[in-house]
Amino acid sequence: MFALYKKELNYYLNNPIGYIIVILFATFANFMFVKDIFLVGSASLRPFFTILPWLLMIFIPALTMRIFSEEKRVNSIEILLTLPISERQIVVSKFLALTTISFIGLFLTMGLAFSLSFLTTLYLPEIIIGYIGAILLSALFISISMLFSSLTKNQVIAFLGSAITLFLLILLSSDFFATSIPKFIQDTLIYFSPGYHLQNFAKGVVDLRSLVYFLSLTISFLFLTIIDLKKRE
Amino acid sequence: MISLSNVSKKFGNIAAVDKISFKAKEGDIIGFLGPNGAGKTTTMRLILGYLHTTSGTISVYRMSPVDNRIKVLKTIGYLPENNPLYQEMKVYEYLQFITDIKGGDNIDEIIDKVDLHEYIDTKIEHLSRGFKQRVGLAAALISDPKILILDEPTSGLDPIEQEKIRNLIKKIAKKKTIIFSTHILSEVEDVANRLIIINKGKIIYDKSKPKGKGSVEKLFKKLVK
Repeated sequence: MFALYKKELNYYLNNPIGYIIVILFATFANFMFVKDIFLVGSASLRPFFTILPWLLMIFIPALTMRIFSEEKRVNSIEILLTLPISERQIVVSKFLALTTISFIGLFLTMGLAFSLSFLTTLYLPEIIIGYIGAILLSALFISISMLFSSLTKNQVIAFLGSAITLFLLILLSSDFFATSIPKFIQDTLIYFSPGYHLQNFAKGVVDLRSLVYFLSLTISFLFLTIIDLKKRE
Repeated sequence: MISLSNVSKKFGNIAAVDKISFKAKEGDIIGFLGPNGAGKTTTMRLILGYLHTTSGTISVYRMSPVDNRIKVLKTIGYLPENNPLYQEMKVYEYLQFITDIKGGDNIDEIIDKVDLHEYIDTKIEHLSRGFKQRVGLAAALISDPKILILDEPTSGLDPIEQEKIRNLIKKIAKKKTIIFSTHILSEVEDVANRLIIINKGKIIYDKSKPKGKGSVEKLFKKLVK
């Protein structure tokens, strides 16, 4: 399993595309946060965690779209599925490699916390818990994008399918629906939104419900990908 | 060793393989012949558990390739049709990757056998077709599997490369079961000791190879019209 993890990680590290995606993400994330930092009037990382789902909505599908669809297009999936490695190991290895890459991207935004610490006193556990939430969010987005990538040979379709799905998920917690639907529906829908749960982490609180939300959904999507891979037809 | 009993595989309403049965034992070098779309690749994929049968049973060392997928795949070396490879990897890196998953310690010996010394640090995408085929064959040989399934191992190669691959297959054939498909009829005469002809999903010939030069071609043309 480690062999496949290493192979996938090396793909991104030996290929400009990995660097381009990670550096673009870090640049956008830093820029989007810094541009409003003096307008917001509070030295906190919470605005960063508010924009993060919107950025990851584009960058995670871009990173993940090739993971299975490229293998299906060039038929290297036949090599993988005729090696003595289980479908579960294949999916988990690829998932961990992608999570590692997204972790590197998030790590590159930690300069923000460092810079802010010059302006004010930051509460370190809040930052750490916020970043744990960001990693969980990335993992969820990766698992969703992996499912789309395994459903098609076409990378563009995989990208669009997962980006639109993530967009709709994030939209559930935005003000967009607030005026048009009854409050009790809004309250229910919001529970399914990753942005809402990330905000719990951004407050520096490990809310068990949010933890269960991220882990259960991520595992569910990985499970669906494994089932799709086992189907073969 | 390998046993297929009344195996069928349908894609929608079309039967790619229709109630085929055969057994293969150690020492068999089976030339698998048939026109395009006859069901050769499907049969090979079924033996590997890459595809699942619609009906019938397959066993490899008395194990089902679907239920005991990992155990079965450890006994088989496979060269898929059109030889898909991870093009971005270097030759040694790729063979090491396969070794890490399949196990075995014969990587240097295999590089010797397929004569890839000069190219171990070359990216696979930069290799010629013949050398890519050697990489695919090398990958199939890793962990010294008892069974080799080679889907058109010489397809698209020049005559000299074809002969090299053929000689290599003959060299490694001892104490193994080899099933290889091809469109080159003389290749079967040269390498195989048993011939299976498949047409429209059915086995129409399964005996030892007929003797004499050109006999396979004559037989093939007679049976496949």
